[in-house]
Amino acid sequence: MSILLLSIGFGLITASVIAIAGVGLSLQFGVTNFVNFAYGDFMTLGMYLTLILGTALGLSVYAALPIVIVCTGLAGVLVNRLVLDSFVRKGANPIILLISTIGVSLIIQSGLLAVWGAQFQKFSLGPSQPLHLGPFIFTPRQLSILGLAVVAMVVIHVLLRYTRLGKAMRAMSDRRTLARVVGINTTWLTDWTWFISTAMAGLAGVVLAINIASFTPSTGFGFLLVIFAAVIVGGIGKPYGAMLGALIIGVITSVAASYMDSAYKDAVAFGVLILVLLVRPQGIFASRGRG
Amino acid sequence: MAAISYYASVLAIFACIYSIVTLGLNIQWGFSGILNFGVYAFVAIGAYTYALFTLGKPIPGASQTYILGLHLPFVVGLAAAAAAGGIVAWVLGAVALRRLRSDYLAITTIAFSQILWLIAGNETWLANGWDGVSGVPQPFNGLLKLSFNDYNFFFLGLSLVILVLVVWLAQLLLRAPFGRILRAVREDELVVESFGRNIASLKLRAFIIGAVLASIGGAMLAAYVGAFNPSAFLAGETFFVWAALLIGGSGNNWGAILGAVLVPVVFTEGTRFLPNIPSNPQLIEAFRYVIIGLLLILTLKFRPQGIIPERSDRFERAARRNRRLRSTPVPVDDAGEPPSA
Repeated sequence: MSILLLSIGFGLITASVIAIAGVGLSLQFGVTNFVNFAYGDFMTLGMYLTLILGTALGLSVYAALPIVIVCTGLAGVLVNRLVLDSFVRKGANPIILLISTIGVSLIIQSGLLAVWGAQFQKFSLGPSQPLHLGPFIFTPRQLSILGLAVVAMVVIHVLLRYTRLGKAMRAMSDRRTLARVVGINTTWLTDWTWFISTAMAGLAGVVLAINIASFTPSTGFGFLLVIFAAVIVGGIGKPYGAMLGALIIGVITSVAASYMDSAYKDAVAFGVLILVLLVRPQGIFASRGRG
Repeated sequence: MAAISYYASVLAIFACIYSIVTLGLNIQWGFSGILNFGVYAFVAIGAYTYALFTLGKPIPGASQTYILGLHLPFVVGLAAAAAAGGIVAWVLGAVALRRLRSDYLAITTIAFSQILWLIAGNETWLANGWDGVSGVPQPFNGLLKLSFNDYNFFFLGLSLVILVLVVWLAQLLLRAPFGRILRAVREDELVVESFGRNIASLKLRAFIIGAVLASIGGAMLAAYVGAFNPSAFLAGETFFVWAALLIGGSGNNWGAILGAVLVPVVFTEGTRFLPNIPSNPQLIEAFRYVIIGLLLILTLKFRPQGIIPERSDRFERAARRNRRLRSTPVPVDDAGEPPSA
């Protein structure tokens, strides 16, 4: 029983990482209507940016975080303007856009590999004493991940519910043509969507690196399928669904990892992903929570 | 001189193997529009099956552990690899192709490929885990007993024979009624369905044929290199094949072959003059993948039909004209995007 509770505790931390990443990915899909396969690599970009800021300016991971978030956000806007925007303007098939994000993924991932090599990198984080909270055991580091996730979710919620930008995003993912007809400026909207989506990726990358302690240029890409799993369980393009999907995938993989070979932790997530796609491709919460 | 011809023959063998795999993907994506991101999963199935069928029994206490070890000849190994790839594709395709839209199918095939990768790596009893199988016998060399150099040319001949057979099959498929229906499915599923065709079954057959070719390519790879391990089927390898197909020109077999020859040659030769930096051994390799990524994006942007475009004959041109006419009344907004369904 205590093992189950403990692994649920760990699952909450994993879920926090997935939730940040999943909401960003889902938001972008909802507005632009194609899957971004380079999303995981924006996460990795965030990890290496934090590393640079740490070694060059001596900034701690948490102090570097705002800069990293803005930088990965701008990188997303740049990629949209340089690569994807012209395809969208030509009215290209979403599949062509999907394949070109793979080109972007290859460039980011291999660019990082060219500079840093494949060896494992680490943030310089001090020792972290575990705290007992009821049946759970958390390190302060894990609690900071949880806290960041909660803050990020609240920010996204406020953005989607109460700002003009958020309302435009929801309108765009609900009925594209109608949104255009009522005069939503799509250039402004897509730029902001990319900024927010990849900024979330940067944040997710940093918290993932804090959580798993070490990373390589392929860490983000490897995590992408876990994010897909959460996003699809929640219904793709629906940010609120992604939060719930993250909780489900995070807890399921952590619980599974404590009862079977932990090497298959990710395989469990992929299994859930395939199962959901086959049984209920619109997501488990399709009827509720229009993102 | 001998060194150069040896090197050329090695490149040519890899070009043949890549061509077989790329022709397989061309039948899936180029003919039928199936977004398979698990190409290398089928290459791996072919390679492992071939290795397990042709290797001898594992010696207890030796460095390798694996199942089967049937010590069967090349042709049987090749046939088994093709069959294994086909059966797995049949099962995966039967469940996935029927319901999923393209982007979900892409995610499913990657996820499938990753699960396979985890199993191949972690289950050491199956095919020696992360270290992989090695010492796969060279086809026919037990009989021929050729020198290292001569054997290479023999293997090149063998690969060419198989490639010619595959090209012949692919060309046949392109011209056959079945190939035409597949292209119709790619263009507009609804139209084909309205003519009473079963889309899922058509796509499934194309998926299986493509997977069989990928597995044959995998078997040839294992036979030539003599080894296979999980690091040989990372996601990057699949996208390498995709880049080859899209740059060469999808939808026609010559484009697929051109891409499969060109992309690896550019890959290995284009960075030949870069200095090797000892502190970062992955630099060159990484740089090559950056180039592939750039080429992929530039191709899609400036020449989406690839170097060799798909041949469109009279009827297809007429069909395209009709489609244009039909689509004129549809309101198109300022971004040129038709309303999404």
